[in-house]
Amino acid sequence: MEFINIFIKAAFVENLVLAYFLGMCSYLAVSKTVKTAFGLGLAVIFVLGVTMPINWLINTFLLSESGVFGIDLTFLRFILFIAVIASMVQLVEMIVEKFSPSLYNALGIFLPLITVNCAILGGSLFMVSREYNFSDSLAFGLGGGFGWFLAIIAIAAIREKIKYSNVPAPLRGLGMAFILTGLMGLAFLSLTGIDPAALTAAK
Amino acid sequence: MKQALLNLFRKIEPSKEKKLLHTAYDAFFTFAFAPNETTHGGVHIRDGMDLKRTMVHVVLALQLCYVFGTWNIGHQHFVALGEHTAPLAGLHLKILYGLVKLIPIFIVAHVVGLGIEFFYAARKGHSVEEGFLVSGALIPLIMPPDIPLWILGISVAFAVIIGKEAFGGTGMNIWNIALLSRVFIFFAYPTTISGDDVWVAGFSSTTPGSVVEYGWFVTSVLNPILATIGSATFNVQSAIVDGYTGATPLSLASQGGWENVTATYSSSAMLWGAIPGSVGETSKVLVVLGIIFLIVTKIADWRIIVSFLVGAAVTGMLMNLWGVTVFMQVPWYNQFIMGSLLFAAAFMATDPVTASATPTGKLIYGFMIGFIGMVVRVLNPAYPEGWMLAILFMNTFSALIDHYVLEANMKRRMKRAVVTATA
Repeated sequence: MEFINIFIKAAFVENLVLAYFLGMCSYLAVSKTVKTAFGLGLAVIFVLGVTMPINWLINTFLLSESGVFGIDLTFLRFILFIAVIASMVQLVEMIVEKFSPSLYNALGIFLPLITVNCAILGGSLFMVSREYNFSDSLAFGLGGGFGWFLAIIAIAAIREKIKYSNVPAPLRGLGMAFILTGLMGLAFLSLTGIDPAALTAAK
Repeated sequence: MKQALLNLFRKIEPSKEKKLLHTAYDAFFTFAFAPNETTHGGVHIRDGMDLKRTMVHVVLALQLCYVFGTWNIGHQHFVALGEHTAPLAGLHLKILYGLVKLIPIFIVAHVVGLGIEFFYAARKGHSVEEGFLVSGALIPLIMPPDIPLWILGISVAFAVIIGKEAFGGTGMNIWNIALLSRVFIFFAYPTTISGDDVWVAGFSSTTPGSVVEYGWFVTSVLNPILATIGSATFNVQSAIVDGYTGATPLSLASQGGWENVTATYSSSAMLWGAIPGSVGETSKVLVVLGIIFLIVTKIADWRIIVSFLVGAAVTGMLMNLWGVTVFMQVPWYNQFIMGSLLFAAAFMATDPVTASATPTGKLIYGFMIGFIGMVVRVLNPAYPEGWMLAILFMNTFSALIDHYVLEANMKRRMKRAVVTATA
């Protein structure tokens, strides 16, 4: 039950893009068509869902004082987290290149740049500061990734639609994307305040 | 009569050089008459309706809500004071008071909204887009009667500039304009639009004993006139009666379930709408008449309304089954006569611009609004009512729903094409 709570909270209530504004660079750059946004969204779900549990293991068993080495190595946290994320992204890149070359070309530089997508490092750091356990961090990774995926395909569909609108010239492109993101954040506010944990606890 | 009006219009038509004047003229001319020009070439539309006439139908459907809302502002006000509590007692005072509250809201919404539209139309050099006609008619109905007018003006300006003109004007917006202006107030000035104190006009607080606050217009203009014609006047010394709370059915339900609601309001009062709330949404009967009118004239798509109601009903039943809080145990059919559920289904979700455009998409869209709105209403302790937020939430996804419905359609047809080609 705790797993579902954290998943829902990360995906809808505290959406990484629309509540914390994390991972904006690729969110704005790759959201021009639904197809590429879909691919990148799936990649982010995968990377978040895999790196968070791995980073949890590293943080608990290697870096903490009660770990294997018996000394406090938390100053290595950032480097190790990034290293894990980078290797995962490398893996995703190879898979995408092998199985969908067209998507690989469409995503271009933004696929390797998932490495520096702040949503992903942000997820791992949230995990540390909120003291999640292993299954919590898996739920947060998958949920946060899913929320990011939803946000990017929604804005991509809207951007495909407003291509045919008579948008004032200075706002075309990025300007409109920022306005859209703000208004989407307003719409997502509807779910802030729902606490799945409180509801299940009442039962 | 018709000819005389037409001649009058022809006589006062300003030259096309005067941009702003001609824009204004054109707006009022096409409001009264359908334009003569028809489409030439390859576009064929079977229906004689143009955009403005479609919108006028929606505005017509709202008129009953306006009339009732005017009376209800006054009625709720006097019920709180314990004067003229019978529905028809002091009728002229109630209607006068309702007008005193409603007309400024109406004027501010239209002056700000239409002013911005005229400005943009003149700048872009085309005739004014009549999109604000419906938004302008809806906005006064979804506001609490005591909303400060400057806040209303800012919110309308926000909705029209950021929500519509930035997207290129009428028909291009992604989010519903009327709801954007309301959600702006909801998050920027929450105390003016939520809580138990705001739904009854004329008081800054609804605790028993607080004295009524009539403006200068009532005390120094209306009261002397009423006194000279020898009728009852507004009593400036009256105060709220003991035991009055001003709580809406929804806030009562979230505190103590359905029994708590029926202790204060009877089901028939909720059905007919003599309860505190936003100006136009309280009367369920009149809203249902509006729904019938919109469906019969084919202005609103029945798919959205039906799937919306089904979604809300199914979610309500699931919550009855789950039932961990008192609000969840409220019988699902009673959810329909509380709050603005029906009003949202009739006039907000059916907005053809912001809803999904494909028939299948409309079913999904309506159902999801019903589901999310009910979840927000019942499960989210932060917000008393969910439809505004649920509709904005699904507006965000309506383009995506359309995208996938179209894609599925294309895939199916491709498959069929391949099968016939190989056969």
